[in-house]
Amino acid sequence: MESKSNRIAAAACLALMLFVSMAACGSGSHGLNLVETEEENNRIVNLYSPMEKMEPDAENVARSAMDKTVIMAEEKLGVTVGYITYTAENYQDKTYDDVALDRARNNMDDIYLLNPDVIQVLGGEGRLMDLSGLECAQNLRDVVKTANTVDGKLVAIPQEVVAYGLFVNKDMFDRYNLELPNTPEEFLECCRVFKENGIETPVGANRWWLENFVLAQAYADLYNGGNTEAEIAALNSGESKYSDYMRPGFEFLQEMIDCGYIDAEKAYVSEALEGEREDFLAQKTPIVMAYWGAANTETAYGKTDFEMLVIGFPSDRGQMPVMPLTGYGIGTHAEHAEDARDFLEVVLSDEALRVYTETNKVISPSKNVEVDCIPALKPLNDRIEENVYVLGANAGMKVEQWGNTCLIVRELLNGATVDECMAEFDRLQAESLADARE
Amino acid sequence: MKWIRRKQNKYGTDKGFPLLLSMILVFCILGAVVLSVSWKISREMSTAAIQNLNESLDLIKCTIEAILKKEAEFQKLMAQEIAEREEPEEYVRSYRKNQTMVKIAFIRAGETEGISSTGEVFSEEGLDFSSGGVVDGLLISHSYLNYMGTWAYTIKCPVEKEGRNTGTLYVEYTYDSLDKSLPNGFYNKRALLYIMDAKTERFVLKPKGMGERSAGHLNLEDFYRANDIREEALRAEVEECVKNGKNIMFYHDIRGKRALNYMWTVNGGTIYLIGYVPIEAIQQEGKAVNQNILIVVAAMLIAFFLCCLLYYLNQRQQIKIRREREAERELHNKQLTEALQAAQMASNSKTTFLSNMSHDIRTPMNAVIGFTTLLAKDAENPDKVREYTKKIMASGQHLLSLINDILDVSKIESGKVVLNVEEFTLNDLVSSVDAIIRPMAGARSQEFHVEVTDVKHEYLIGDETRINQILINLLSNAVKYTPEGGNIWFRIIGLKQRSSQFEHIRIEVEDDGYGMTPEYLKTIFDAFTRAENSTTNKVQGTGLGMAITKNIVELMGGTIEVTSEVGKGSLFRVDLEFRIPEGQADKKFWEESGISRLLFVDADVREERNIRMLMDGMGIAVDTASCVEEAVHKMEEVNGTQRAYHMLMVEWDVPDMEGIRTVERIREALPEPAPILFITTYGADGMECLDGMEEALRMGYTGVLMKPFFLSALKEKITEMRTGEAGGKQEAETGEENSLEGLNFLAAEDNEINAEILSEILSMEGAKCEIAENGRLALERFMRAGEGEFDAILMDVQMPVMNGYDATRAIRALNREDAAKIPIIAMTANAFAEDEKEALNAGMNVHLAKPVDVELLKKVLRQYIR
Repeated sequence: MESKSNRIAAAACLALMLFVSMAACGSGSHGLNLVETEEENNRIVNLYSPMEKMEPDAENVARSAMDKTVIMAEEKLGVTVGYITYTAENYQDKTYDDVALDRARNNMDDIYLLNPDVIQVLGGEGRLMDLSGLECAQNLRDVVKTANTVDGKLVAIPQEVVAYGLFVNKDMFDRYNLELPNTPEEFLECCRVFKENGIETPVGANRWWLENFVLAQAYADLYNGGNTEAEIAALNSGESKYSDYMRPGFEFLQEMIDCGYIDAEKAYVSEALEGEREDFLAQKTPIVMAYWGAANTETAYGKTDFEMLVIGFPSDRGQMPVMPLTGYGIGTHAEHAEDARDFLEVVLSDEALRVYTETNKVISPSKNVEVDCIPALKPLNDRIEENVYVLGANAGMKVEQWGNTCLIVRELLNGATVDECMAEFDRLQAESLADARE
Repeated sequence: MKWIRRKQNKYGTDKGFPLLLSMILVFCILGAVVLSVSWKISREMSTAAIQNLNESLDLIKCTIEAILKKEAEFQKLMAQEIAEREEPEEYVRSYRKNQTMVKIAFIRAGETEGISSTGEVFSEEGLDFSSGGVVDGLLISHSYLNYMGTWAYTIKCPVEKEGRNTGTLYVEYTYDSLDKSLPNGFYNKRALLYIMDAKTERFVLKPKGMGERSAGHLNLEDFYRANDIREEALRAEVEECVKNGKNIMFYHDIRGKRALNYMWTVNGGTIYLIGYVPIEAIQQEGKAVNQNILIVVAAMLIAFFLCCLLYYLNQRQQIKIRREREAERELHNKQLTEALQAAQMASNSKTTFLSNMSHDIRTPMNAVIGFTTLLAKDAENPDKVREYTKKIMASGQHLLSLINDILDVSKIESGKVVLNVEEFTLNDLVSSVDAIIRPMAGARSQEFHVEVTDVKHEYLIGDETRINQILINLLSNAVKYTPEGGNIWFRIIGLKQRSSQFEHIRIEVEDDGYGMTPEYLKTIFDAFTRAENSTTNKVQGTGLGMAITKNIVELMGGTIEVTSEVGKGSLFRVDLEFRIPEGQADKKFWEESGISRLLFVDADVREERNIRMLMDGMGIAVDTASCVEEAVHKMEEVNGTQRAYHMLMVEWDVPDMEGIRTVERIREALPEPAPILFITTYGADGMECLDGMEEALRMGYTGVLMKPFFLSALKEKITEMRTGEAGGKQEAETGEENSLEGLNFLAAEDNEINAEILSEILSMEGAKCEIAENGRLALERFMRAGEGEFDAILMDVQMPVMNGYDATRAIRALNREDAAKIPIIAMTANAFAEDEKEALNAGMNVHLAKPVDVELLKKVLRQYIR
């Protein structure tokens, strides 16, 4: 009996080996032509998007989230997305936005991931396609539509609602018995205490994001006072001056610079995260500013050795998130416009946005997608949930805010006075009024 | 055999380990060979892959350089065209960009500013030609980000007219245009490739389809950081190569995977191809080959192990079969050995037997021959003749018994013994045995005690002759092996009946003789054995008696056992069961005899119980008295009443038996014709010594009963007492009747001596005998004879021409009146029962075995002739 079963097992093994051998002998049937031609996929969509400098093996959550949705689109549409990227090597180089403008103006790519000011500029130049006809646009929150509608066209749609805030080292605040600041005065007081306690630069900064302080103080009332449209209308008509709104913020920054709470020189030449990240993580600097997603991203502030909280920028109305909405725009003369539209339909669909939002833990532009945020972001999220925020850019304003303010803040960092900066705003407003008249 | 097995075992265990080691060694060598082959293949494939990579990179390099050269050549043509124009600026302004040349500009000689195709003022500011890179003799700038937001380079070409420099033509090219001319990825799109500007170390192009798209690196430093290339020495080496425009290729892990990194100089080192390819992508073929080798090796190993398994199973099966065969062979050997031993023993026994037989036969034969010689010599002396003939007879009898024993053994061993079952009485059995043994014992001054106890039935059915043979064997041995003056006990004991139809009897023969050793007891029932070698012992015997005894006992369904102790004696115990005959005729006899009350006088209670038990079924009331006095008293008491005793049995040895006076007193108390029987242990020969016995017997209605007591003996005695006179006459008449005087016989006998003996014996008896030498002659003689001429025919069986059976059949078949009637007596040495049966079947009247017993012959002849 035992012998019989053994024989059967041996026979089975031999049969299996024979089968494997025969299978190995088999080969695909080639014709006379031995060239294996691969069917080329000619449907390409070129996407211009930023690329952070990467550490080895570091996980970029935002990038991963985006990649997931891109892969979804590729699989669903059968297109190949060609990544075009640019990163400035230093402050003297062209910025990402500069290059975005150049590339969009020369129809180099199909889709561009654009910052608010560039959206406004390119939208104003009519170089971006109207996306309001997309199905996914029907699900967008109003704030997104408001921010990215230029001349009645929805020119860009983001995958996340970007909210800027202050990233604070709660441990250091506690160490010096400091309450988290709500107003500019409280903020300055905190900086004073830190400074007195040997913190050389209480606020870490780069050349990009200091404008948030200005915008928070400038438009806290405008966006939260209940008279937004009228105030914007007054600004567009020249009845109100942008410089009047901007002045407190610039004076605040000036004081910060004067008191040494910000290293202006360093900030002027530092790229985002480059100048301040290391000190913040090393707890040499208790306060930095960054966008929402930085709290989740390992390459930014996703992994700290201390308790980190993200709060709004100080304003008379308390902590104020600043939301400069970015977005994907399609070039008006894009080579692969149709595929680009289809691509956006997929990556901005609720399904894709849910994937993106869950991966990146951000606020979704779709009103249908809700995701819990990480604890560090709760203070900021609470304010947004209360509808208390300031838009970083508003296409409804004739003078572009996000980019111009950034540039003017750089001038302040570079030694310009507050009055000179205000004069620049007045000049810009005058130009816009003149354009409107033409 | 054991040595071989030990050797095999040693081989089995000791050889297993070296074999295992050898196998491991073979596998290790095989593994090492496979590994080395695998490594060799990997190395060779790796070398081939590196070579292949070199060629791929060279191809890309050449492609780019060719493009650059064509660009430069075309630019020279453009410069010639411009040189021919009166208004070069018009040519520039009218230029419409394409994907390769995105902008052209012209600066007149001696001026710093000129015009570009995009319309704005153009100067060389912002363009860096300092590295001295040239394409086809034209200077090429460093890479820069152009107005389109893409990386570009400018080649400047002097515009000369009639050997005079009229200006410079600048043409801006984008790296994107190169992409279209490059392959759509290599190494299955797993290799990464950038184009780097050597001067700025900026990555100016990542061709589509070249490697992972998430790796968007900025510059060489960023490449180092992203890929964790931190080794200073390596970086210095790379820097040195880049500086000197040399190619470099090195191994370094990229994101945890071993990869081959390369930096390939293009256009004399103005730009570099930079990237990496994972080793696993390079060695894909090698890996596949190695995998296939491993599969083959694994398949071979599996096949090998399967073969081993099959071999093992086969070996196990073989070993199993071999063991079974060995076991079988061992069993056979054992059986053969046993058989050989048995044969040797049998041979030895038979040799011994033959030796004994030779001795035993020669001894009486010696006596026969010796005494015959003496007889011839002393024929004139009647006393000596009688003495010699007596001894010759004794020797002849001994020889006969020896031959009978041998024949018995032969018959028993060949299974030819047939029991002759018929009714017999224990009384006859004991009497006949007693008659034989008692004289033998008496001759050796031995006491022979016979005891019968608890036997309920003395009429039984069985082969009396064979039982007799058993008893004679046992008792004669007892006599033989008991010294003079010893005791021999012969007991018949009634055991508890297992069935009412069978009497269960135990026969014990005990003596206080020499006894036997335990060793001998083991072989006592084997044939051809004797307690002591007859050549050294005076005890004569064939050594077959006990074997015959045991075989007969077992044939009867009984058992025999023996206990013995040297110097103390032996006890043989035979248990047998005999069927009880259905009809017991004795009861009627007793009724007719008028005896219904009996007084028994004996001090022995056991005898009392015996007699009561035997008389119980006969309707006779048994009363007992322990002494004569008591008996007399009892008899006187009942005299004249219905309770008067009809017979008295008195043990001669009771204490108050005082000879004839006591007998007379008894007779007074028990008047004639009531029989008085004296019970004694002495036989007829011994009664002479009993004081008063003879006188007592002379009295009327008295007699003697020998112990043990049997009902049949009592019955016979009473009958004898009542017919005392008539009996004496009958015996005399019987003697006369056996006489053969005047009879005429025809004897068929081929042996002259036998014929002569027969003739002589018959003539001594007054009869005549005519001899025929064979059956046919006998037949013919009978046919010739007149009716009634012969009184009987004595027929030998084994004869030439015609044997006795055929002759008998022929005679019986004759058509004459006396043919069927004439007694034909078989006289043959064929003495077996079968022979007797065949003789009777052939038509003979009776069968007599040779040697001829004269008395028996006379008796038989008279019986049939009458």
